[in-house]
Amino acid sequence: MHTFQDPQFGDKVVTLMAALVLVLQIAMAGQRWIVTNIRIFAAQSFLLAAMAFTIAWFNHAAHLYVAAGLTLLVKVVLVPILLERLVERIGIRREIDPIVNAPLSVLISGGLTLVGYIIAESFQRPEQAGVAALGHNALAVAISLFLIGFFMTINRRKALTQVLALLCLENGLFLAAISLTYGMPLIVELGVLFDVLVAVLVLGILVYRIRETFESMDVSRLRRLRG
Amino acid sequence: MNMPLPVALFQLGLLVYLAGAAAALLAWRRPQKARLAAFGLPVLGGVVQLAASAAALSGGSASVWTLPLGTALFPWTVRLDPLSSYFNLALSFLVIAISLYSLDYLRDMEEHRNLGAMGFFYNLLLLSLTLVFTAANAFFFLIAWEVMALTAFCLVTFEHEKEEARSAGVLFLIMSHAGTGMLLAAFLMLAAAAGNLDFASFHLLASRLSAPQQAVVFLLFFLGFGVKAGVVPLHIWLPDAHPVAPSNISALMSGIVIKTGIYGMARVFFDFYGAPPLWAGTVVLAAGVVTALVGVLYALMEHDLKRLLAYHSIENIGIILMGFGAALLFRALGYANLAAIALVAGLYHTLNHAIFKGLLFLGAGSVLHSTGTRNMEHMGGLIRRMPATALFFLIGAVAISGLPPLNGFVSEWLTYQALLAGFGTTQSLTRLMFPIAGSLLALTAALAAACFVKAFAIPFLALPRSDAARSAKEAPLAMQAAMGILAAACIALGLGASWFVKVFDPITEQALGIRISASLVAGRGFALSAGAPHSGTVSTAGIALFLVALGAAAGYLVSRLARSQRRSTGPVWDCGLPGLTADNEYTATAFSKPLRLIFSVLYRPRREIQAEYEVSPYYPKAIHFESEIEPTFEKHVYGPLKDWILGVARRMRAIQAGSVHAYLAYIFVTLILLLLFEVRG
Repeated sequence: MHTFQDPQFGDKVVTLMAALVLVLQIAMAGQRWIVTNIRIFAAQSFLLAAMAFTIAWFNHAAHLYVAAGLTLLVKVVLVPILLERLVERIGIRREIDPIVNAPLSVLISGGLTLVGYIIAESFQRPEQAGVAALGHNALAVAISLFLIGFFMTINRRKALTQVLALLCLENGLFLAAISLTYGMPLIVELGVLFDVLVAVLVLGILVYRIRETFESMDVSRLRRLRG
Repeated sequence: MNMPLPVALFQLGLLVYLAGAAAALLAWRRPQKARLAAFGLPVLGGVVQLAASAAALSGGSASVWTLPLGTALFPWTVRLDPLSSYFNLALSFLVIAISLYSLDYLRDMEEHRNLGAMGFFYNLLLLSLTLVFTAANAFFFLIAWEVMALTAFCLVTFEHEKEEARSAGVLFLIMSHAGTGMLLAAFLMLAAAAGNLDFASFHLLASRLSAPQQAVVFLLFFLGFGVKAGVVPLHIWLPDAHPVAPSNISALMSGIVIKTGIYGMARVFFDFYGAPPLWAGTVVLAAGVVTALVGVLYALMEHDLKRLLAYHSIENIGIILMGFGAALLFRALGYANLAAIALVAGLYHTLNHAIFKGLLFLGAGSVLHSTGTRNMEHMGGLIRRMPATALFFLIGAVAISGLPPLNGFVSEWLTYQALLAGFGTTQSLTRLMFPIAGSLLALTAALAAACFVKAFAIPFLALPRSDAARSAKEAPLAMQAAMGILAAACIALGLGASWFVKVFDPITEQALGIRISASLVAGRGFALSAGAPHSGTVSTAGIALFLVALGAAAGYLVSRLARSQRRSTGPVWDCGLPGLTADNEYTATAFSKPLRLIFSVLYRPRREIQAEYEVSPYYPKAIHFESEIEPTFEKHVYGPLKDWILGVARRMRAIQAGSVHAYLAYIFVTLILLLLFEVRG
């Protein structure tokens, strides 16, 4: 059998890419330049698109090609460009100042990965060893991505960086979807991607407004809105 | 379709109430039509429901009917079993009288009040009350229960421009919801054990739970229903909410709405529980004693006629609970016969109280209607201006004081008999409960009689104390007729007690498996006996005959003596002061003074006298007198509770920091904990 048609080989490739996605996520949690962050997000999304492509190739799931292409277009190209423009236009300091410092963030991210694996463990069914092997690792990574993304939304003060964290969180959901069920129905996939795009646009405007009003993007200042 | 007669009548009755509500809405802008439709139709609905419940009670077997609403999981099932039908009987009888009364009572309100709204809520309240009494599914029951609470709230706050009505309504709503929360928890615990929400599957279920669960379910039900019934110390909403409503609504609230709590307890204690633990009966009996005593003691201090009656409702709930508590104790001890007698006493008193309290509130409404005040100190001499109202009020007062031969006496006598028989049933210390409860019941009845001497004498006798009382007019015909119906029922249920007790046979058979009426009737059906070998017997009919004979003899003697002696008329001795006026009369405050002193531990009375004088303190120009009693429960129970809740709420505000990060962190931590919990489980 040709190597590129062997599902075993496909599994290994997918697992490797999932590991890389996780590493990028932890890197994002640990470093502090906004522009770098955006680029890491782009790289992560690119890896995800590649994963979708690989899964589609080895499992003959045709509609996943569309999902992979759309991910490439929206998350690797459009969203990073929009975000970088926003960063330039509002001319903020290029640093993220997180609530928890970088080393500790990485540690916490590691801990959350552990939690992700513990949770994914419970989904494993011994009788479906073949599918589960792929599903298990990728699901664990997906849950970890989700949790770390969530942690990042808490850890960041500025609205723009929170948008980034939200996008990473969404990547985790996407990974879970493609690895467990070979993708959701195409229409759902389209809807999700469109949502992400709209969310970025709306949040971009919102960030701009918050800055106009409070002379800062620090959402902690929203506290003033409390009655 | 072949449908049992009770169900067909029941459906028709529900439809009439619904039609009343719809008619009230349609006639929204035409007060006169709204009044006639919204209060005329329930008279008819009440008659139909009365027939339905009488048919169900005499029919024996319970008929079930499911409303074509609801879902498979929550069917809206109605079951007309004897217990339900008995309460529906009390409700529909009262509805007939109150609706009839309302037809004339509300005539003056037409111009400046939205009678459409009142009629709408009134009919909805009747509908929900009927369904509360007959629902056979916990979910359906709670829906009816909540509709009842909300419509009652709308009626209590009908005169919403008054501050006291609004605050009473809010208090009522808070207490009512706290109670419903407890009921919901208790029903869910039962549902978890039964697997569904049907009352039929709850039958005897509670006794199969583990002991701690049984205790929790019992207490939740007792407190939850206790709020609605007005059990001390959960009663504080009642004397505020009942008087501020228009009097026809007060009569309905005090007469039957609080009985929904009693119905719930009866359903739980005697249907869901097989034989509840001994402590449960002790708790209910003790709560009954405290409730009765506290209710009557506060009633004594009231000079607002309607508040006084509201406090008496609390007292009577206490008497009913004494019957229930004794029944529970007897059941736990294995004396089914005594349990049946105590249960009959409690249920009989429930109906009796509905009738005489309805009558008294309608009487108070007539007085309020013609004098415009609820304060007794401004009434007086009304017996000459409103003779019919005075007569009916007197009958109600005699009945509620538990004097023979009226209905209040019969049920209180049965309660005594049950309590007195209780001493011999056990060797444990629990038996001391019975004589203590019996003697306190006697004290309660005596104090109630004292209170109604005041409640009748101050408004109706002597000279008018104000211009309003001087120009009072007799109540219109429909109001008199309504009071007459209830007064007649008071007499009939008293004199015909030995016939009426047969009604309880299907109920005791359903609850305890025995029929008791045969052993309660003695002397060829003219006397009541308490069933046990050494217990007393009493014949209300005999007492009535004796009283009539005594009255006739006295009348004869007086007329004979009057003929033989010369009669002369002279002025009243006025202690040398220039002429007697209404100001010299005995007041309600003065009348209750001895009791205020005796029970000062509870009342903690405060009084203040200021005299103004110019030359010498012996010749005051004006004296200012102020007297008040301390609201013990509000101050010592609810005050600290309110402070505690507000304190906790203030500390909880720290959670709502207004920080997006904090909120996100809450969600995050909750999510992780839930995930890990799920994995572990």
